[in-house]
Amino acid sequence: MRFLQVAAIAAALATAATACGGESTPEAESPAKLNVWMMGEGTPEQTKFLDGVEAEFRKKHPNTDVVIKYVPWPQVASTFQRAAAGGAGPDVTELGNTDVQSHIEQGNLADITEKMNGWAGVKTLSKTALTNDQSGGKTYAMPWYGGVRGIWYRTDWFQELGIQPPKTWAELSAAAKKIQDEKDVPGISAPSDQTNGIVSFIWGAGGEVAVKEGDKWTGKLDQPQARTAIDFYAGLVTRDKVAPAKYIGKNELQGPQQDFAVGKLGMYIDGSWAFKELKKTGAANATKWGVFPIPSQNGGNAPVLAGGSDLAVWNDSKAKDAAFEYMAILNDKKNAQAWADYSGFSSMHTDVKFSDPVLAPFTQIAANLKMAPLSSGWAEFEGTKKVIPTLVKNVMQGKALDEELKKANDEANKLLNP
Amino acid sequence: MLDTASPSRSAPGRKTSGPARRRRPRLGPYLLILPTLVVIALLMFWPMIQIGVMSFQKVGNRQLRGEPAEAVGTENFRTIFDDPLFWQSLKHTLLFGVVAVTLTLVLGTLVGLLLNRLGRRMSSFVAGGVMVAWATPPITAAIIFYWLFGNTGGAVNWFLDLLPDALVGDGWADYNWFASPLPTYTVLTICVVWQSFPFIAVSVLAGLRSVPGELYEAARVDGAGAWRTFWQITFPLLRPIFLVLTVLSIIWDFKVFTQLFIMAGLANRDAFNLSLYAYSEAFGGINPKLGMGSAIALVLTLLLLVVTAAYVRIMVRQGETK
Repeated sequence: MRFLQVAAIAAALATAATACGGESTPEAESPAKLNVWMMGEGTPEQTKFLDGVEAEFRKKHPNTDVVIKYVPWPQVASTFQRAAAGGAGPDVTELGNTDVQSHIEQGNLADITEKMNGWAGVKTLSKTALTNDQSGGKTYAMPWYGGVRGIWYRTDWFQELGIQPPKTWAELSAAAKKIQDEKDVPGISAPSDQTNGIVSFIWGAGGEVAVKEGDKWTGKLDQPQARTAIDFYAGLVTRDKVAPAKYIGKNELQGPQQDFAVGKLGMYIDGSWAFKELKKTGAANATKWGVFPIPSQNGGNAPVLAGGSDLAVWNDSKAKDAAFEYMAILNDKKNAQAWADYSGFSSMHTDVKFSDPVLAPFTQIAANLKMAPLSSGWAEFEGTKKVIPTLVKNVMQGKALDEELKKANDEANKLLNP
Repeated sequence: MLDTASPSRSAPGRKTSGPARRRRPRLGPYLLILPTLVVIALLMFWPMIQIGVMSFQKVGNRQLRGEPAEAVGTENFRTIFDDPLFWQSLKHTLLFGVVAVTLTLVLGTLVGLLLNRLGRRMSSFVAGGVMVAWATPPITAAIIFYWLFGNTGGAVNWFLDLLPDALVGDGWADYNWFASPLPTYTVLTICVVWQSFPFIAVSVLAGLRSVPGELYEAARVDGAGAWRTFWQITFPLLRPIFLVLTVLSIIWDFKVFTQLFIMAGLANRDAFNLSLYAYSEAFGGINPKLGMGSAIALVLTLLLLVVTAAYVRIMVRQGETK
């Protein structure tokens, strides 16, 4: 009730504010063009899905031309830089969720607090994901889809060798060893450039990357829990020898995914979205894949980083109302379901589930979500400086664990408090 | 020369008008190069000036959006000089430059000499063949070499694995060429040299064609071998060409970026060179630090200028004393 009152007052204030601005029309104006940026390469299926969204949107705005632009992930940073510098930005944009805080900090996103409160869909959105889009009590983005990672494995090999999906780290390493011995392929992949997967091990040992103490982030990578985790993950390559050295310095897409798809790797860590890529590479094995949650050290699912994307209204947009309406249609229940089934990403609406049974474990995995530190410095920690990948790589290549942990922790202290 | 050669023409009346005429600016040539100059100034000099200015500022997305940039003095430079990664990148840049330039010049000269000895038809055939490597865009070449040396289905690992273990050791099938700096730079050197030697070869060939055949004949009669002939005749005559080729090679190889970006990427920070280090600071993430990137770029530019100037000086001096 309290919340409703606040919302009502906020809405009243907003109306007053717009009235002062001289805009008396309650209906959102229809711009001639609405620029929508989608991240990734784009596919015919995605374009078809977005065409459907556009058709719905144009029922209300028949004169608006919706222009979709796909921005490949590796070019995201420089594209947004140009948008900020040149003013030729989008109206609506998709954002990587770990970048949202940086965008807010840079003043790129419009405040959509009132619009969100007035939208019916907000009630079923994941609260954890929504927190990620807020700063100083205001909302700047809308959670769209999430990606959580699990461990992909070969169901036929597990069955043949009598392996149960591992519940602890020891079992995980043992399962990898068994596959490696019997099937003559590497048991598991442990690429070093996979921050989002590696943090699950840190959390799975009860550790943290950093926690907020007062108003400062304090690195926790020098704590024993993080040490155990990095030691185990790097040890998969160096000590247990169940993960090959060929993935050092690489991410899951630079080898592990392809090798797993064609049957040259026992297990690998990736998200639900990988399913369609796997099918493209290794269609013949498509019925033999399953997923289990990343185990924590001593049993149970490790918390997973909620990767994924959000939608936001660009601050320079001239048609913020229409932009939000587009987002609301794109992320309504019907479209959220269609998108989840096509893309393999979980919807951020808690009541939308996958239709494909292979992906069902991801819904279970997503029950144990955890956010990366909500600092605008995380993007630099993760993306630019690649602190955790560098740490893991160095340890895998034989540098002293404690020294590397300390170095990484110093970086965390510095970068997460920009 | 002309003045001393024709003293008789200097009539009393011309004495004053002569120098004055010479000093009068001729606008024609300047007008002709003006458009080029404007384009170069806009596209090259202006960004360079900006880099100079920005290297003393803090420039992020907020500043790109129009907020005034904050002057930070020499802080950017102090930060990079304190960063061990900078010194490592500098070391990589220099070492790679020396090795790649040397190999490119040696290989290019050898192929140039070979082309000169081949018959007309074979020479054009080989020249055409090597020029394909020169014409390949760096990004294409980088991807091809990344695949050749890749783990999964890479031809090089496959071949090394086929060779007897006594010769090359075993375990090549899964060898990761891009995990540490030395193997990464080995592949990078092969790739860059492969792409840049054809230009040297063809330029050397062009130079060789201009050397009078009698000189070689005379050398042969005097009993000079190939080695001696090269150092006594070819090299001194082609000195200006080698000077230009070396300077160009230094410039190209010191700022190599594309190939390393494809092969090592931004995740292998231990393999950075200065270009990649600058790129990662300026464009690597969602929080760009254009000031830092500019500072690194400025250091790289100054380094290039110094190296090139020193080299040109040495070469010109040697040419004078001979």
